[in-house]
Amino acid sequence: MLKLTDVSVKYGSFTAVHDINIEVNAGEIVVLLGSNGAGKSTTFRTISGLNRPAAGELVFEGNKLNRRPADQIVQMGIGQCPEGRKLFPAMSVEENLRMGAFVHRRKRDQIKHSLEHVYELFPILKEKRHDAAGSLSGGQQQMVAIGRALMSKPKLMLLDEPSVGLAPLVVEQMFETIQKINKEGTTILLAEQNANAALKIADKGYVFENGTIVLEGTSAELFANDEVRKAYIGA
Amino acid sequence: MEILIQQLFNGLTIGSVYALVALGLTLVYGILHIPNFAHGALYMMGGYITLTMMTRFGLHYWLAIFVSIIVVGLLGVLMERFVFHPLREAPPIHDKIAAIGILLFLEAFAQFYWGAEYQSMPTPYGQIVEVFGLTLTMQRILIVVAAVVVMFILYLFLKKTFTGATIIAMSQNREGANLVGINTNKVAMLTFMISGGLAAIASSLSAPINLVFPGMGHLVILKAFVIIILGGMGSIPGAIVGGYIVGFSESLGATYISNDYKDIIAFLFLVLILTVKPTGLFSKGGSH
Repeated sequence: MLKLTDVSVKYGSFTAVHDINIEVNAGEIVVLLGSNGAGKSTTFRTISGLNRPAAGELVFEGNKLNRRPADQIVQMGIGQCPEGRKLFPAMSVEENLRMGAFVHRRKRDQIKHSLEHVYELFPILKEKRHDAAGSLSGGQQQMVAIGRALMSKPKLMLLDEPSVGLAPLVVEQMFETIQKINKEGTTILLAEQNANAALKIADKGYVFENGTIVLEGTSAELFANDEVRKAYIGA
Repeated sequence: MEILIQQLFNGLTIGSVYALVALGLTLVYGILHIPNFAHGALYMMGGYITLTMMTRFGLHYWLAIFVSIIVVGLLGVLMERFVFHPLREAPPIHDKIAAIGILLFLEAFAQFYWGAEYQSMPTPYGQIVEVFGLTLTMQRILIVVAAVVVMFILYLFLKKTFTGATIIAMSQNREGANLVGINTNKVAMLTFMISGGLAAIASSLSAPINLVFPGMGHLVILKAFVIIILGGMGSIPGAIVGGYIVGFSESLGATYISNDYKDIIAFLFLVLILTVKPTGLFSKGGSH
């Protein structure tokens, strides 16, 4: 479904991501593990068209993504819940969600259904639908960000550290919800530092270090790997 | 008492003009994140184009305003495309310098093409009417009514349409807007178009009671800056309320304090409000 071949990304002369290869198949949950600054978010930004790759090729369902602007990539079916959430803080929760359906703005019925679906996944958002998104707690804002990405009905959803800054109980719910979204037919590419929780729901994973992929394998393989256990699981 | 009511009405008139100018400024602030210093030049161009359309091409006042809205709106779009868009990754100071450059260019152009002298704009609404014992000119009533109608339409557009909401969304988070599939280039152009159009409406409405000259935008734009700082940078209700606050205080100040000092009042307000509430009256927490 999505294939990155020898992709490098630069910020000026600094190479943030170097020669990475990633493949995501339809229906999978794939996780990118790695610490802060390892290149996960840069990879996501590049897939979504916010950054341009310096080298390599990004292909989504047979179409090259390299030079496409971000808004076209959303139309093609890649939605992102970005690092830092990037909500519209002064807009209400519902307005944020509606903006998420921007690419489907002419389909009123579909927007209504998607909205109901998001409220089903995150009932608290329905309660707070008239509140400004900026006034919500971190966990609730994360829900709005995921909901907003879902509103575009993406085929592939990129989730950049959805568990960051959340209470452990909320993290667990968040991962259950992600699994649910996946079961409903959305392929998921997840960036995480919480390897334990992420590998439990993922099919396979890639380990980032200093902008390169140092390890890849199925969840079971990574879970059994000593390096991974030492670095990310703490066992 | 009569003088008070008369002055309140005058305040309403100038306040309407200020609010329209400040609205355009505040909308573009959401895109550039700096105040567009060239906005006053767009206001001036609007006045001249309406005047030229009426005097040289014999168009009716309303038709002339319509042409002016389109031309100044397109001028705004050109500014965005050829000046601000290429500078979007540059430090904010470059935008500011560029805006001042555009301002100087347009003023020099107006002087070169239309001359430096003060010109008056004819209006088909010069008649004087008596309403509740007040003597008002039709033009002043027209300014208030037209401004309110324009603001109401703008409000509906921003609040009730997807296209309008993209302007608000982009001002609150540009990348967020990009990631929901909004073409931020189109939104930036649209915003400059609307901003230019508002400036043209404001100057075309007020020119018959003032005059048209190359520096006509100076004082108006300075006050519009005060208004959007007062109302909170980027806040739309703030621009409207701020516009009327400055309008009322100016006309009342001109009567009860001194006509010579009326232009200072807005700036006194600025000092006062920034001392008491430095973020502006309407700025919301969370947005920036």
